[in-house]
Amino acid sequence: MSCPESLQSQSYFDGEVDTTAVPNMERHLESCTECLGLFENLTRSRGALRLGYGNMRAPSALRSRILRAIDREIPAKAAWRVRSFWWGAVSGLGAAVAAIFVVFFVPLLASNQPIADDLVAAHMRSIQSARLIEVVSADRHTVKPWFAGHADVSPVVADFTSQGYTLVGGRVDNLDHQRAAVVVYRHGAHVINVFSWRADWRPMPAELSRRGYHMVSWRVGDLQYCAVSDAGRNEMAALTRLIRSIAS
Amino acid sequence: MDDMRSRFDAEVLPHLDAAYRYARWLSRSPSDADDVVQEAMLRAFRGLNALHGSNVKAWLLTIVRNCHWTALKQMQRRGFVPLPDEHCAADGYAMISTAAGPEGAAIQRDAERTLDELIAALPLDQREVLHLREIEDMDYREIANMTEVPIGTVMSRLARARAALKVHWSVRCVGEQLVVP
Ligand SMILES: [Zn+2]
Repeated sequence: MSCPESLQSQSYFDGEVDTTAVPNMERHLESCTECLGLFENLTRSRGALRLGYGNMRAPSALRSRILRAIDREIPAKAAWRVRSFWWGAVSGLGAAVAAIFVVFFVPLLASNQPIADDLVAAHMRSIQSARLIEVVSADRHTVKPWFAGHADVSPVVADFTSQGYTLVGGRVDNLDHQRAAVVVYRHGAHVINVFSWRADWRPMPAELSRRGYHMVSWRVGDLQYCAVSDAGRNEMAALTRLIRSIAS
Repeated sequence: MDDMRSRFDAEVLPHLDAAYRYARWLSRSPSDADDVVQEAMLRAFRGLNALHGSNVKAWLLTIVRNCHWTALKQMQRRGFVPLPDEHCAADGYAMISTAAGPEGAAIQRDAERTLDELIAALPLDQREVLHLREIEDMDYREIANMTEVPIGTVMSRLARARAALKVHWSVRCVGEQLVVP
């Protein structure tokens, strides 16, 4: 690089030049062909790098290995906390309390939302396997009747492409001993699975996060819906509103 | 305890992919990267109480970086791997390709190089800064804090890495569009 401003041009490209210096940089770029060429190159290489590596995801096997390891951490931590609380007073009893806590309380917490765990597991399976969709269609008139023959419930099926949520198809997943209907949407790079099944007395929280995935749930009569995705909360809420605006 | 877990799920887990990408850019093999990421996520979980800032990604990537160097030092102590040279040049980098050509490979070979190999040929310190800036979109200050060097060093490493890619590219892309893996 022979232009003495080339480092400054790079900073400008990276958005690191403070606002007072911006007019100077813009003037320089109008006259310096070298920096202009640099700019073009930086744009091209950033594009290629992001395209080549930006979408790399952690393998699913690694993700589950990590989550299992973290699950193992939790009882250990609980035991330690309870024990340290009681330790000064009655050390023997403290250990016993800890044991009781681990045996009774931890499983209770873990089983708080079994369906939520099943939903996330089903969502992850669908993303990781080729079995994301069983009936491929952007046409609700194809998906809806398909559910009639395959699932135990008949949910709302609609396409919202103009609002950014494209209907890509449907699937049936076993959930809570039923054949739950899953309507699959694509929103940008995200897949949103909308599960629906016959609800029982157990309430689903309206919003829940598990393992980095968001869940938004609602109920229509005795039909329980739950949208699961790694899309943002607001994006999922928007789809939820669209679905709820349509009467089945 | 359970709230720790929900906090981890909500704040740290969304950055798992970034942690993995970074580890892959640092490590000599995919399985090394797996181990580094797992160790880093566990440490992040245990250290969640110490996290007060809002920049969770930079915090997690710093843990990944520390885990990588700890693992590398352990392997070196056990004699599994030779010490890297002073610039850590092409330190067994293996994102997709495994063979990085020797320094000063023939110009003819350059034309066949993939983007992978171009990056593999970069010294580790430049590769790291390039990754944090281009893929993870971190700013100069964040990168300087993470890699524990002054901002000026971040800028010069970045410039050298980009210039190296450009030189190779101009050889590779004579009259044709760049092919990205
Ligand atoms: Zn210039």
